[in-house]
Amino acid sequence: MIADAASGNGTRGWIFNIQKFSLHDGAGIRTVVFLKGCPLACRWCSNPESQAYRPELLYARDRCIGEHECDRCIRVCKAAAIGRDADGKAAIDRSLCNNCGDCAGACPSKALEVSGTLVSVDEVIRAVEQDSGFYVRSGGGLTLSGGEPLAQDSFAERLLATARRRGLDTAIETSGFCRWEALQRVAPLVDQLFYDIKCLDTEKHRVATGVSNEIVLDNFQKLRRDFPATVVVVRTPIIPGLNDSREDIQAIARFIDSAGGATAHELLAYHGFGEPKYQRLGRTYPLGCVETASDESMAVLRKAAACGGDRR
Amino acid sequence: MLRTLDQNPESLVVPFPGIVLSPQEARIERGEPVGLIGDAARSKRARIHSMIEGFRERPIRLNVERARLLTESMRQTEGQPTVLRWGKALAHILEHHPIHIEDDELLVGSAGPSGRYAVVYCENAGYGRFYTRDNELTVSRPGDPIIITEADIAVLKNEVLPYWDNHQYNAALMKALPADTKRLMEKIFIVTSTAAARSMLAWAHDYGKVLNRGIGSIKREAETKLDAINPLDTQACVEDKPFLEAVILVCDAMVTFAHRHAALARTMAAAEPRAERREELLEIARVCDRVPEHPATTLREATQSQWFVQIVSRLEQSIGGVVGNGRIDQYLYPYYKKDLEAGRISDDDALVLLESIWVGMARTVDLYAKPGEPSLTDGFAHWEATTIGGVSRDGRDATNELSYLILQSKREFPLHYPDLSARIHSRTPDAFLHAIAETIKEGTGFPKLFFDDEIIPSLLAKGAEVAEANDYCVTGCTEVKMLNRDVVATGCAWVNLGAILEMTLNSGRLKFYSDDRIGVVTGDASGFATFDELWTAFSAQAENVMRHTFIQQFVADKLKSSFIASPMFSMLHDLCTADCKDIHAGPIKNGLYLGFFDIIGFGTVIDSLAAIKKLVFDDRTLTMDELLTALDADFAGHEAVRQMCLNAPKYGNNDPYADNIGRDIEETFALLAHSQTSAFGGELDLRYVSVTSHVPLGMIVAATPDGRRSGEPLSESVSPSQGADVHGPTATLASIASTKCAQYKERAARLLNMKLSPASVAGEIGTKKVMALIRSVCDMKMWHLQFSIINRETLLAAQANPEKYRNLLVRVAGYSAYFVDLTPALQNEIIRRTEHTA
Ligand code: SF4
Ligand code: SF4
Repeated sequence: MIADAASGNGTRGWIFNIQKFSLHDGAGIRTVVFLKGCPLACRWCSNPESQAYRPELLYARDRCIGEHECDRCIRVCKAAAIGRDADGKAAIDRSLCNNCGDCAGACPSKALEVSGTLVSVDEVIRAVEQDSGFYVRSGGGLTLSGGEPLAQDSFAERLLATARRRGLDTAIETSGFCRWEALQRVAPLVDQLFYDIKCLDTEKHRVATGVSNEIVLDNFQKLRRDFPATVVVVRTPIIPGLNDSREDIQAIARFIDSAGGATAHELLAYHGFGEPKYQRLGRTYPLGCVETASDESMAVLRKAAACGGDRR
Repeated sequence: MLRTLDQNPESLVVPFPGIVLSPQEARIERGEPVGLIGDAARSKRARIHSMIEGFRERPIRLNVERARLLTESMRQTEGQPTVLRWGKALAHILEHHPIHIEDDELLVGSAGPSGRYAVVYCENAGYGRFYTRDNELTVSRPGDPIIITEADIAVLKNEVLPYWDNHQYNAALMKALPADTKRLMEKIFIVTSTAAARSMLAWAHDYGKVLNRGIGSIKREAETKLDAINPLDTQACVEDKPFLEAVILVCDAMVTFAHRHAALARTMAAAEPRAERREELLEIARVCDRVPEHPATTLREATQSQWFVQIVSRLEQSIGGVVGNGRIDQYLYPYYKKDLEAGRISDDDALVLLESIWVGMARTVDLYAKPGEPSLTDGFAHWEATTIGGVSRDGRDATNELSYLILQSKREFPLHYPDLSARIHSRTPDAFLHAIAETIKEGTGFPKLFFDDEIIPSLLAKGAEVAEANDYCVTGCTEVKMLNRDVVATGCAWVNLGAILEMTLNSGRLKFYSDDRIGVVTGDASGFATFDELWTAFSAQAENVMRHTFIQQFVADKLKSSFIASPMFSMLHDLCTADCKDIHAGPIKNGLYLGFFDIIGFGTVIDSLAAIKKLVFDDRTLTMDELLTALDADFAGHEAVRQMCLNAPKYGNNDPYADNIGRDIEETFALLAHSQTSAFGGELDLRYVSVTSHVPLGMIVAATPDGRRSGEPLSESVSPSQGADVHGPTATLASIASTKCAQYKERAARLLNMKLSPASVAGEIGTKKVMALIRSVCDMKMWHLQFSIINRETLLAAQANPEKYRNLLVRVAGYSAYFVDLTPALQNEIIRRTEHTA
């Protein structure tokens, strides 16, 4: 692709993954670009490496070869942040580590990796367009996810605008916790917008995600008011103990209706996919041991959501 | 340490595809009763349901009768023209082979005893492969997959084997090879020739010809030609005459064979107490009196006629993968339509007839299986390739109601027969694609997909007429044939790319063969100063191995007609009858000889060369000496080196670093192919179809620089190395596309298996996405694609062996995730859910 200097496509942003052949993040076969950094800290977050706004060292201990055949990381770490554990495998002292990534470059087994790459709009679009043939046939395209993609709003906006100009279908997955102006700028650039509404109880929301839901709800109302034609799919992750009662779900459904409705309201059963990733970041899993909602209770909640009012 | 190999050449014959366990097959393995799937199917096709019930428990019996009769006839015809000898032998078999009619069956005819059976093809290499243990021909014990009786052994030992010990094509072939070629061929699994393992490559017959004209008409044509031979035309008297005589003999014997069944049915009818079955038997008699001698008039007659041709073909000889069904939805359609319009049959009646053919195929067991392994009983894979869809001879979409009906049967019939292939083209109707996607989602991996947009132009480039190319059918696992234009008959070779790489790194030596110099001297690898020097050595080793492969193929083609002839096969082929020549007695006038060779270990070798390029020459993180030392130690004590190798660029991720090396490998072999003319003036095409050969071929290859340990399987067909493609199927497809050198016509099948989890394609949305994926793959001009919708077993295996399954994507609400990245608890949860889906 030819660099589009006029539009400033040299603009760079932080991403932590580009996932191709994604079948469940919008229409058709899509490529999801995960932007790094998030103002929320949902306790069930399945991508904890998405939360920080800077590169982070990931350490998969099971992949470490250990001291008998390797100590490369220890030798390269200038901060002396790496030692050995009882089995002779690398042990990271996170308090000393500055996430410089030198050790990851030296690690033969990719036990050490850095999450987070600074990339230009052009680079991302080039990667996304590798699958153009699949988008054409399936109606797919680019989906921005995160993290919170609108935390890097100029980068997100440029990605979407460039994709649009190049004829790609676009979608975004947002928590809604962002400046209204950011949402206002990207809404006209997307064919589909996925919007998380997790819980209407402000206090519960704060405990579970670290932030109040006021901005989220306010932005949603404005979105429906100013962009009534935009395809908006509301998603609610079902977290046992947080929002798995019929009342919780009906309250959300009523709120959606009062704000002008949504194209669809999807309930997704919580899955603790992120757990091993917390270990790799040297963090403990905040949610602890929570069951996944059963198929039966999901069915009950879906019915409750549907009773909440008319869907468009 | 390298594992020791069974050096017995019989064991070198590798079974055709290791079919991935489908939910149906898994049901069989769990011991659940086999039957049609769905209540509607079960009640409407109760006959079929009862025929397959308890199917797996039925014993497999050895059919030595065909071998006995063949040998008996051959002993009496020594010295006569080969084609006449085989004509007489087939006639002898058809007149004397025991026949029977099974309970409830409508279509009759079998190439063996009642129930499940396996035919002994004593004329082929490795007839001893039905030995149950220790290469001893002994009476089977309880638990053995195949029943071998004392009487069977007596027949084989006294009447059959002594003759063939001195008359086998295989032994003659080995003797006829030049000394240096023979030396390489004797080292098994470097070049694995299948020339003498079967009489024919995978083929189908022109069934339509028999259905429309009848065998009687084929006989009359031969008689007319025979009468017209000018007695002074010496060539015709010496060569054409025996061919025509053989055809006449075979035609008569086929009719006799059918009439024997008619007579048996009448006898059984006389003794049959149930009135309904009595009527059925009388109808069987009527049908067998009519076909295959005369043209078929109904679907019943057409299917019976087709089945007789198949059975006679099975008695004549062994065809690679067992004889295919051709474009069954095309040649049966006129009969189906006429019956339907006349109100003679319903769709379920049509399905019963089709499924009668499937049951007949399922009763046969291919002796290509590994001996002595009861667990492989259901793995006696054979695939009577059956083609539906595609374009018609005149280029229109050929899909019809039968195409849909056959897909329906594939969803409801629980055994992995037929081996169903759907031809896809740019105008394949959405409705058909939808039915295909729904069938694929059943998880059996069927239908396999073949893409007209790649295959038809490729056949045109090779010299076919448009109508012929449009009318190709699938045979074997990924081959295609134009039934009246292709004439290639001799089995082709698998070439071990992994061994070529090892020779490159060791100046022509292979560790497995005690460091004997098998290849050419290319110098000490640690002396290579650049990647180009390494590449030059690789090319030299490749050229040497291919040189011998081509010579072997040439000698095999030339020698074959003194040993093998196939008059029944040949009389159904327009070009053979026009030229009055047996298919093996090339060159056949106007015939296209589209032979091939397969290179095995494509992914392994791309990744190995990429690792060397990256680690040794570009990044210089390793020296060649360090790498060779680690390889020599099979990475023991060199885990860091192995990890670097494993984490070097890999083919299958749309990474030009690796893919460009793949393209160079393809070009090297395509150019070698391009430089050749085969024995009868044809071509030998580069293919990537390993079937399961990548497993045994891997056994002789030491550790490779992609991180693969000694003796482990090589990568399969055109697929990336197991677990190396970590960026999803679209990246894999892009890599595969970018290694193709489309400028050469000497290319053929590239076999691709793609795994998806059942949940990822769940629901109508999932079906639509599978359809879109298929359309995109058609756009990319792939040759072949087969999906495996991952089942529970695979997930369990993934838990036990995560490294191999690194690329397995599983679907959860809202996310897709790599299975091996999940905690065991979650993995179990996914496994549980997948079971729900299945
Ligand atoms: S990221 Fe840098 S500071 Fe942290 S452990 Fe690695 S080398 Fe040391
Ligand atoms: S470099 Fe990697 S493999 Fe080696 S000791 Fe460090 S973490 Fe382990």
